[in-house]
Amino acid sequence: MKFLLSLSALLLSMPSLAHAAGGQGNTSAIVMFLIFIAATMVITWWAAKRTQTTSDFYTAGGGITGFQNGLAIAGDYLSAASFLGIAGMVYVSGFDGIIYAIGFMFGWPTVMFLVAERLRNLGRYNFADVTSFRLQQVPMRVLAASASLLVIALYLIAQMVGAGKLIVLLFGIEYKLAVLVVGSLMMIYVTFGGMTATTWVQIIKAVLMLFGATLMTFLVLKGFNFNLDAILVEAVDVHPDGRGILAPGSAVSGNPLNALSLGIALAFGTAGLPHILMRFFTVANAKEARKSVIWASSFIGYFYVLTFIIGFSAIAILVKHPEYFVTDADGNFDMINSLIGGTNMVAVHLANAVGGDLLLGFLAAVTFATIVAVVAGLALAGAAAISHDLYANVIAKGKASEEKQLKVSKLSTVMLGVLSIILGIVFENQNVAFMVGLAFAIAASSNFPVLVLSMYWRGCTTRGATIGGFIGLASATIWVVLSTTVWVDVFGFAEPITPFPNPGILSIPLAFASIWLFSMLDKSAAAEKEKAAFTALTVRSQTGIGATGAQSH
Amino acid sequence: MSLHDDVVTQVTQNPKYQELVRRKDRISYAFFIVTFVIYSGFILTLAFNPSLFGRSIEGMTMSIGVVTGICVLVSASVLVSLYVYISNKVFDPLLASVIEEAGQ
Repeated sequence: MKFLLSLSALLLSMPSLAHAAGGQGNTSAIVMFLIFIAATMVITWWAAKRTQTTSDFYTAGGGITGFQNGLAIAGDYLSAASFLGIAGMVYVSGFDGIIYAIGFMFGWPTVMFLVAERLRNLGRYNFADVTSFRLQQVPMRVLAASASLLVIALYLIAQMVGAGKLIVLLFGIEYKLAVLVVGSLMMIYVTFGGMTATTWVQIIKAVLMLFGATLMTFLVLKGFNFNLDAILVEAVDVHPDGRGILAPGSAVSGNPLNALSLGIALAFGTAGLPHILMRFFTVANAKEARKSVIWASSFIGYFYVLTFIIGFSAIAILVKHPEYFVTDADGNFDMINSLIGGTNMVAVHLANAVGGDLLLGFLAAVTFATIVAVVAGLALAGAAAISHDLYANVIAKGKASEEKQLKVSKLSTVMLGVLSIILGIVFENQNVAFMVGLAFAIAASSNFPVLVLSMYWRGCTTRGATIGGFIGLASATIWVVLSTTVWVDVFGFAEPITPFPNPGILSIPLAFASIWLFSMLDKSAAAEKEKAAFTALTVRSQTGIGATGAQSH
Repeated sequence: MSLHDDVVTQVTQNPKYQELVRRKDRISYAFFIVTFVIYSGFILTLAFNPSLFGRSIEGMTMSIGVVTGICVLVSASVLVSLYVYISNKVFDPLLASVIEEAGQ
């Protein structure tokens, strides 16, 4: 509680700090953000009383409804990067921004048709419960924890660095302080309130974000008399690429294989993201899991459509506002390169243009809230990998007491929080653009193949899954390290070794093929037992008989 | 937690269960394939015939690509909804009777 007090003191001093830092501090943004923090603190306090067991901590006791979970998943999925980033991408290159959004969107049918219901029926806290359902605990947990922690670390770094910079621009506070605030808030939510608090923070944030984007789109459309084509006419007229913004651009034509590779990783990666999969255990049963996907995909799809409108209309509108650009002596500016704060700020400037300081403040506060919420979701999934997989099932061999497990989870949350603050500061000036793409590629090349084959293919054995999963993990990582994004941009070598940055087209089939090959070669007695256990797995995954149900409070 | 072998045997021998699994798998795979065809169709057109997407729609500035893109995006949600509708209507009643007959 002392910590809470000192943190709120820190936050209350933010307006003055903002003033001191001399950035474009926005009072309404800070006030709204403080209201958000106050509300989420009350929720955390309420959730803390209900977080007594590991089941409460990891899955909110399984008592979240499908609708609530759908909102929370949308909250997890729509990070600040996917909102501000896609709006910015549409602003810069038009159509190419749409391609990314479609890739992210198509993760959802995959999750629905192949994973969601079976996952809920087979697991308890996280997806490693499912991959180790009939395969051996130790290797499957170690594999799942390695891939999950790597995915989470990459995602966390990308979020922290992106977040830090964004907060500097929006609130005018210092980078280190921004990272510290995000990391501390996340630790409070997760350690005290577990999944219950994290879910509600996520729900509130998703509602605010959907509301903000809807309002902004409405204001924009009103300015154009609700004529979408009129927006495009003006956008084509002023954009340096002209009609090019309505056609596939350099992101694709430069290297079609890279686009294909990215597309595959985005579509299959979602079904392997540990923090997303974990959300399916917060609902009571498979039917509610199904409902979660329908709501999540509807909210996400709706939000992306709004983002396109926001991006295209920003082209038409921002150009009329020289105050958002760095202008030269004659008042001229380049609409792409001299936007204040870079193209990630497109949606923020547009909010100011159509809704004044109040909407700008609202959007800035929502962005901050988004970052904190996404980071909290990631930390919780990371804590589950450490305490539930590594500690409880590998080190303690399933003999750890409930209290001990809960203690380890809270300890790992604090560790992850501190680590993410440190990483955020260390990576401040590094290029982190490749990290989310790599996170998706690893999820699609390791977690996804292991999960799918262990649930759908009788012949899948521990040896096959372990070797194949690690091959997928390693090939995706090595490929990215040797590509332009790391080998050239980070290490400074002249030429990349891999032909294009996205590994999916090689690493995903390679993982599937290796799992198949090494399972076929596995003639051990253990393998026979694992194959025999497939029937029981199928019965439970199809019917939910024996599945962990919701616990009433 | 774990299922008893006799429950497993009893369920797998229930013709309703066999029907459920057969139909459910067929529907899941069919939906997955349709999704895959839509998505890969979009990506492949993008990769190998990008100029098609750049063409305008008659009398408008809007391009074929932007409209297709939004339709493809929305189709993902529609497919998911349709799948849930079929599951609720067809599979849940079947599943309920399987569970009941298993005495669970």
